[in-house]
Amino acid sequence: MKEKEGFVDCPEQQMILYVEKEDGQFGPMQTGSYITKNYIDDYFEKRNNLINKLKEQINRGEISPVKLFMILEDLTPKELSARTKIPVRKIKRHLLPVHFEKLSEELQRRYATVFNITVEQLQKAVPSFEPMNAELAKP
Amino acid sequence: MGAHCESGTVTSLLNHAGLIITEPMVFGIASGIFFGYFHKHKSFTFPTFIVRNRPGDMRKNIQKRLGVKFQTFSFREEQKGIEKLDELLNRGIPTASQVDFYYMDYVPSWERAHVNVHFMVVIGKEGQEYIVSDSYFPKPERLNEESLRRGRFAGGNMSPKGFLFYPSFVPSEIDLRKPIIKGIDKACFNMLKLPVPFIGIKGIRLFAKRVVDWPKFARDTEHLSHEVMKINILLEDQGTGGAGFRFMYATFLQQAAEIVKNEALKELSAELMTIGDGWREISLFAARIGKNRDLGPDKLRELSDLILDRAEVEELFFKKLKKVLNRKLLCLPYRAMS
Repeated sequence: MKEKEGFVDCPEQQMILYVEKEDGQFGPMQTGSYITKNYIDDYFEKRNNLINKLKEQINRGEISPVKLFMILEDLTPKELSARTKIPVRKIKRHLLPVHFEKLSEELQRRYATVFNITVEQLQKAVPSFEPMNAELAKP
Repeated sequence: MGAHCESGTVTSLLNHAGLIITEPMVFGIASGIFFGYFHKHKSFTFPTFIVRNRPGDMRKNIQKRLGVKFQTFSFREEQKGIEKLDELLNRGIPTASQVDFYYMDYVPSWERAHVNVHFMVVIGKEGQEYIVSDSYFPKPERLNEESLRRGRFAGGNMSPKGFLFYPSFVPSEIDLRKPIIKGIDKACFNMLKLPVPFIGIKGIRLFAKRVVDWPKFARDTEHLSHEVMKINILLEDQGTGGAGFRFMYATFLQQAAEIVKNEALKELSAELMTIGDGWREISLFAARIGKNRDLGPDKLRELSDLILDRAEVEELFFKKLKKVLNRKLLCLPYRAMS
C-alpha cells in the first residue's frame, strides 16, 4: 500500500499503518480508521436496535438484564462465570427474570463490576452511553 | 504511537532502556506473524480469527533471542499488585501492564471489547490517576485507580493477574543477524508446519471454508452484519499496522534484508506488501457487504474465495521465505547499539 492510499481523515480514531513511502522504503504513518470514518453510524444503528430488542424482551419477561449486558459485551456464560466467580449453572439461571429478581446485593455488585456499570444501571438495564452516537460515546 | 500493543510496548521499553530498535524488527524477531481460526471456542460468542502469535510470546521471544532480561510480576492478591506498581513508579521505572482493554476509560466506547491481552506502559501517577502510554494513542492518557484495577485483575480467558514487566538488563551490543534468522524460521514453522488444523495456512483455508457457515451462528441479519464487518476490524483496526500484520512484517523483512545484506529478503518484503493489499481488499469487501446487509450465500462464497486465495499465495510465500533461510545467508555482522 502506498502512503497516499493510506490516509484517512478520522481524528476520532487514529492508528499506525505501515506503507510504502515515496522513496520505496516501508515505514509507519499515522492515519485514521477507515471503518470508523465510513461506517460508525451503521455500528450505532445496529447497537441501538439490539438494545431496543433486548429491552423489549426484558419487558416481556423473557430475559433478565444480565442477559442484555452479556450480549452487549460479547461474553459467553463461561467467560462471565470466570470474571464474576459465579458458577456457570447459576449464571444461566440469572439470565431469567425470576432468578435475577432474587439476586443478592453481592451478586448484583459482581455483575455490575464486570459490566463496568452501577448496580442501578444493572437493575434498570441501562447501558452506558444510551442511546449511542459518536458524541456521547467519546470518553 | 505503535502499530500493536505488545510489540509497541516492548519496543518503547527497549528504546527507553537505550536499545534503539524498531517495532517491525521487534515484531519480526519475535515471530509475531501468524494465523489462527476458531470456529467454536468456549470463550468466544462467534467464530473468529487471530493474526498474531500467542500474547506474551513477543516479550518471551525477544528475551530469548536478544539476551534482554525482563523482570516480570504476577499477583494472586490485588493489593500486592497495586503496591508493586506504585513502588516501581516511585523508583522511576516505566512499567508495562497487561489489562482487559474494556476498562481503559480513555478509549472511545465503540472501540472497547473484553480483551484480556492488552498491553500498555504505566509511566506515572498523580493523585488517584495513573498516566499511561498506550500504543494506540498519540499522547499519554490518564486512568483512574479503580479502572486500572479492574483492567489488571479482570478474570476470564488469559486473565492478566496483574501482570507487570520492565526490562532489567539490556546487552550493550546485540548482533541482530541470528535473532532475525531465528525469528523468520519460527514464523515459517508456525505458518507452514504446526500440526494443528486451525493454525497457519491450514487456518486460513479453514476460515475460507467455514465463513460460508457464519449465518448459522447469527441471531439475525444485523448480528451477522456486525460479525462480518468485524473481519475489517480484526485485520485493520485492532492494532495490526494494516492487513493483519502483513504490512508490518513486510517492513521487518525489508529492514532485515539491509541487516543481513540479502536481496532475496528485500524482494520477498515487496511480495508480502502485495499480499497484504489482498487482505486489505478482504477488509473493504467485508465492510461493504456488512453495511449493505448483502450477506447471502453468493457474497459469502465470494468472501470465501478471496480468503482462500490468500491461503494459496501465503503458502507459496512462506515456502519461498523458508528457502531463503535454508541457503547460506551472506551477511556482515550488524550490531544494534545500546
